Amino acid sequence: MRDFAVLGLFDSADALMAAIPKVKEKQLGRLETYTPYPIHGMDEALELRRSPLGGMVLGMGILGALTALGFQYWISAVDYPIVTGGKAPGSWEAFVPIMFEIMVAFATFTAGLGMLLLLNKLPFFGHPILTAKAMLGITRDRFALAIEADPELDTEAAKAALNAVGALDIEVLTRPEQGPFLSADFILRTTSGIFIACLVAGLAMYGAVKLMPVLSPVSHMLNQPRVNAQQASSFFADGRAMRMPVQGTVARGYLPFGVASPEAAAALVNPLPRTPEVLAMGRQAFTVRCAVCHGPAANGVGSLGSAYGAKPANLQAPQFLAYPDGKILWAIVNGKNAMPSQAADLTEEQRWAVVHYVRALQRAQNAKDEDIP
Amino acid sequence: MKAETSTMNAEFPDILREIPLLEGSVTSGSLDDQVLGVTDRKPPRRWFVAMAFTSTLMLLGFGFIGYTIYTGIGVWGNNSPVFWAFDIINFVFWVGIGHAGTLISAILFIFRMRWRNAIARFAEAMTIFAVMCAGIFPLIHVGRPWLAFWLFPYPNQRAVWPNFRSPLLWDVFAVSTYFAVSAMFWYLGLLPDIASMRDRTANKWRKLIYTVISLGWHGSARHWQHFEKAYLLLAGLATGLVLSVHSVVSFDFATSVVPGWHMTIFPPYFVAGAIFAGFAMVVLVLVVVRESMQLKNLITLRHLEVMNKVILGMSCLMGYSYAMEGFTAWYSQNVYLHHTFLNIIGGHYGWAGWLTISCNIFIPQLLWFKKCRTSYFWMILVAVAVTVGMWFERFVIIVISLHQDYLPSAWRLYHPTLVDFGILLGSFGLFFTLVLLFARVLPVIATSEVKGSLPGSQPRPGGEHA
Repeated sequence: MRDFAVLGLFDSADALMAAIPKVKEKQLGRLETYTPYPIHGMDEALELRRSPLGGMVLGMGILGALTALGFQYWISAVDYPIVTGGKAPGSWEAFVPIMFEIMVAFATFTAGLGMLLLLNKLPFFGHPILTAKAMLGITRDRFALAIEADPELDTEAAKAALNAVGALDIEVLTRPEQGPFLSADFILRTTSGIFIACLVAGLAMYGAVKLMPVLSPVSHMLNQPRVNAQQASSFFADGRAMRMPVQGTVARGYLPFGVASPEAAAALVNPLPRTPEVLAMGRQAFTVRCAVCHGPAANGVGSLGSAYGAKPANLQAPQFLAYPDGKILWAIVNGKNAMPSQAADLTEEQRWAVVHYVRALQRAQNAKDEDIP
Repeated sequence: MKAETSTMNAEFPDILREIPLLEGSVTSGSLDDQVLGVTDRKPPRRWFVAMAFTSTLMLLGFGFIGYTIYTGIGVWGNNSPVFWAFDIINFVFWVGIGHAGTLISAILFIFRMRWRNAIARFAEAMTIFAVMCAGIFPLIHVGRPWLAFWLFPYPNQRAVWPNFRSPLLWDVFAVSTYFAVSAMFWYLGLLPDIASMRDRTANKWRKLIYTVISLGWHGSARHWQHFEKAYLLLAGLATGLVLSVHSVVSFDFATSVVPGWHMTIFPPYFVAGAIFAGFAMVVLVLVVVRESMQLKNLITLRHLEVMNKVILGMSCLMGYSYAMEGFTAWYSQNVYLHHTFLNIIGGHYGWAGWLTISCNIFIPQLLWFKKCRTSYFWMILVAVAVTVGMWFERFVIIVISLHQDYLPSAWRLYHPTLVDFGILLGSFGLFFTLVLLFARVLPVIATSEVKGSLPGSQPRPGGEHA
């Protein structure tokens, strides 16, 4: 164990300042003082270099202002240009307040953290002075002058020198046993610290994600006081939220299909005119409801055909070309062979529009010369 | 001490001799015992009583805030056209209170006003607590505070950015920077004092905590050199910042077209008002602190008197600003502006206008008398009046201007609800709870700064170190 420093205690700033030049003459090692408050003239007495903090803060302040200017310009003029108050997207005047704030923020953190972390190398709890008996006085009302090893210390000569200048008390500080900075112990602790932090953060995140949707303030209006379809409700006597239509009424567009057989239906006449709107409606309904099986050209080659057991009818076959409109409607409403009823999904108007469209498709597939305009 | 001062400055004529900043015999050691020793003792009964009262208020306020967040801000009185009301009034009020701390700790530091040393720490702490109170209000005012991070420009899946031409966004940056800078300034100043507490405490747990938060500070000359430089730089930066923050707050109003808000005088007027309100609050708290914590010899009547002089000066500035506002309104030849200003002195809320003018301009004129500047009764009266007056000034600016603007069909009166008042009281509870906690766990006076300005603490001038 080697000696790190010899410490002499004084009870006033005057005595300390008087002692410094006399000890310095002997050139025993690096001089350092430990005081409860900053002493005027100490920098000159110890011949300290000027603190570089001013330049660092100036540089970082300018960098902060430019960063804020560039960031705001890029956002407001390049990435997301938006005209506010009739100003050009890149007009810089409005960026000044935030430039100022960011400049101050950069400069402040440089001054504060630069002083602590870079220049003073704090936090550091291993400095030998912290375990010295003299420390109790140093942060109170005592002034310490230390002769520190540079790199070797002549302890006896240092003691004698401090005695000669009238130190009240003299203490020898030993150099702490220091391992290398990246010791296995240090790495182990850091890694386990990071691991535990990740674990805690992960669990906290899991809990937050699990719990938060349950809390109604965060539900983003998903939780609304209304009943949904098919829900139970205690409001009505039958316990259902949905209502049946009033007895003896028929909803618009849902007239019952009052035809008993396909033969009876053959007499029906399509009530819709053959207009582009009706055909467009028919095409839309046909594409959605019919084309998957009967095919877009109604020739029975639909995309579902091969995957489906039954063979869909080819509506271009001669028998269907001669088929009455009413029988097509009958098939749409009641289904035919394996084809299910489409009545629930098509309104009365849509069914007749589909009939028109099927007729149009049939004519298009069997066009004659005179159809060419 | 008096004798010491006179021998020190024997060659100076009496008039140049500095009046001692502290009363009685104060040494570095006695200062530590007096200020830092507080944390070693159990708090007195009255501290618990005060704490019970303020924390009840605080919890009440939190309850109302929780109710607001759960239900929505419809529980407030805000409604068309008065969309800004208690929330923004309280925000501006508390940010303003904070300004005194930075003024005392930074601007007076740069001017080398050494009387600030004894009160700077407390004022800085009040700054931080006031900004915390202020920060609550815009946060809950956004309605869905859990999405308040949308205010910050961060890359997001919506591919939109905030509008950098909006003063409300400037406000976000100004207030967050202000809080961060104040906290940094305060913590750095605390480091040497926490180190003192670390070295004097015998309690194991307290020693551990103080050791960690003092970061291993040991007062070496090289550390002090950088520390002083950093402190000076921070003071300079905070000075610019404190002037900018309330200016930016005033931009929230001044850049709009609402009659009564659209005024070029707003930034300096807001800054003066902020310092005014803040000093009143500092006086109010310091009177209680010096009496209840036996700090009369450190925070002397002279400190309070100087503070009161600042309040008086700021009151006159406020009077000038009010007169200028009125003049601008008259000179503008704008009927809407005329209407708004007649509303302040004679409308439905005329009582608030007159309350503002009386509390901020007339009552502080008492401080022209030295008797009032040095008497508790009068200074507390003035401080309370200023606090009330400055709150109502923001009420006047916000509610009176909004409730009747260009469109008479949209005119409507504003009625605050119980929740509004509950949250306002809660913010006072939070502020004073934090002040009470601070007074018990951290040094209320910057001992290392006061030590350095005690008589005889610095080496005597002249080359001869005898």
